[in-house]
Amino acid sequence: MDVLLALTISAVFAIGVFQLLRRNLIRSVIGLSIVSNAINLFLLAAGAYRGEVAAYANAVGQRSDALPQALILTAIVISMGGFAMVLSMLYVLSVRYKTSDSDEVKGLTH
Amino acid sequence: MPTDILVLLPVLVPPTAAAVAVLLRSHRRVQAAWAFGAMLTSFVCSSLLLWTVWSNGRPIVYQLGNWPAPFGISLVGDLLSATMAVMCQLVLAGGFLYALGCRDQCVQYPAFYPLFLMLATGLTGAMLTGDLFNLFVFAELLVFSGAALTAVSDDKFGTEAAYKYFYISFVASVALLLASGSLYVSYGTLNLADLAQRIAADPSPPLVLPAMVLLIIFFMVKGAVMPFHFWQPDFHTAAPTPVHAVLSSVVVKLGIYGFLRMTTLLFVEQAESIRAVLVVVGAVGVWFGGLGAVGTYDAKRMLAYSTLGQLGFILVAIGWGTPLALAAAIVYAFNHSLLKAAMLMLAGSVASRAPVKTAAFAAITGLGKKLPLAGVLFLLGGMGLAGIPPLNGFVGKLMLFSSGVEAQAYLPLAAIGLAGIVTLVYVFRAFQHIWWAPLPEEVKPKPYGDRLIAPALLIALSLALGIWAEPLVNLAQATVAWMMTPESYLRAVLGG
Repeated sequence: MDVLLALTISAVFAIGVFQLLRRNLIRSVIGLSIVSNAINLFLLAAGAYRGEVAAYANAVGQRSDALPQALILTAIVISMGGFAMVLSMLYVLSVRYKTSDSDEVKGLTH
Repeated sequence: MPTDILVLLPVLVPPTAAAVAVLLRSHRRVQAAWAFGAMLTSFVCSSLLLWTVWSNGRPIVYQLGNWPAPFGISLVGDLLSATMAVMCQLVLAGGFLYALGCRDQCVQYPAFYPLFLMLATGLTGAMLTGDLFNLFVFAELLVFSGAALTAVSDDKFGTEAAYKYFYISFVASVALLLASGSLYVSYGTLNLADLAQRIAADPSPPLVLPAMVLLIIFFMVKGAVMPFHFWQPDFHTAAPTPVHAVLSSVVVKLGIYGFLRMTTLLFVEQAESIRAVLVVVGAVGVWFGGLGAVGTYDAKRMLAYSTLGQLGFILVAIGWGTPLALAAAIVYAFNHSLLKAAMLMLAGSVASRAPVKTAAFAAITGLGKKLPLAGVLFLLGGMGLAGIPPLNGFVGKLMLFSSGVEAQAYLPLAAIGLAGIVTLVYVFRAFQHIWWAPLPEEVKPKPYGDRLIAPALLIALSLALGIWAEPLVNLAQATVAWMMTPESYLRAVLGG
């Protein structure tokens, strides 16, 4: 199970990095979102095998570590806000420059 | 009043005031006065924090929700973070003052002042927090508000600049998240003090080195250090003046703060390898930034490249790592914040007089004829950046070079010493363009521009700190003495 999870995370991460490096701005944003999800999975894996029982006060057996889940929740909320913002700015850019090719968005380089 | 609340106040006052300021959006003047009052209050609170920490002689720790240290989130005000917080709040208050007298359209937006206060929260919180994940949250808050403030800029390329800034900072935050995950897997804690103790006890887990590298990348992006600087010059060309004056001077200091913390608290054992990297990127950055600044077409862009160079000096000092060099780094960082904010405000103020607002040299040539006061201030600020007395830049450079002689690092010393001359070249090139060249006949400058009160205050403060440098130097030396003995930090946070 560990190996499977590790392989999955690395595959998701690799796909994300590949998309992140594309010239198309929309693809690169999608790549960023895939990468951040891969990292959420990584955080989940960080606490996944430290006990099987939910961390209630009267739980019997080894309790699971709830902190990684709290970290993921925070990270998900923050990345949601971040993508809303990136996509809104991307919309403005695509209207202004009429392209999604990152090489064409060069108003500031002389 | 219990003293530990003092650490909380600089982080608590700005967001609360921002929430209220959003409610006041229909009353422009009330909102501005309220938000400025909150900014000043939080500056006073952080100064009180610094004063209390210094006179008590031990760090002040606030455990959020009264959860004991390794389990809850602690806010730690030791001398380093309190000094950095005061520096940030001072320049943020200056930037706010500039925004009040700014004629840009974007400061009229109802969300401008609340976002500015959130920027202050993110920056101060990132400096004061004692928890790695909390640092991520505050850094994100900082980037969100900074990017939003840039995207609304009057400049038509504001959104492009904000997009680049936000995208690259987001990738850096992903790196920080990965680093905190790696450290959590290895040690089961995210508290900086607890982590420091555990890393020192057992540096063998395989994920420590990747975490260290990812943290270096994160702080390099935040500090716009040489290989990760590419968002910065574009950003400064298009952002509103009050925003980039703050971002180029104090927000990049988050990177400096991070490196100081990494080499003296988190990775003390591994600090030598981090320092070796910092000396190289610093020395390269000094030259790259200096030559980049000489070759630009735009006054703000020139100052942005100059930030790369000046940060290079600080990184070289952190890389030498002797007590004198670290003190020099802190003094230099403080001076650079004041001077660079003032210089960017002056450039912005000149740009606001141009017929179409821009800081390109082609458009602002000769505009300074109507602004003799700004010329004097710009000249003083430029002398400070180049390290000519009587400004405080001289004190920082003197400490830096004497620490280099003491560390017997003659090669980097020669490299950055020569690059210091480049500073003079680009500053006086800008001065010539704006204040010496005659105003072209066909250009009709605007009769009114942004007020000069904020840069005048900042330059006056740097002049005062240059003539009477003793308190700042003493503070820096005391800070370094604390940094060299992290045990007091650990004891204050973890108890016992």
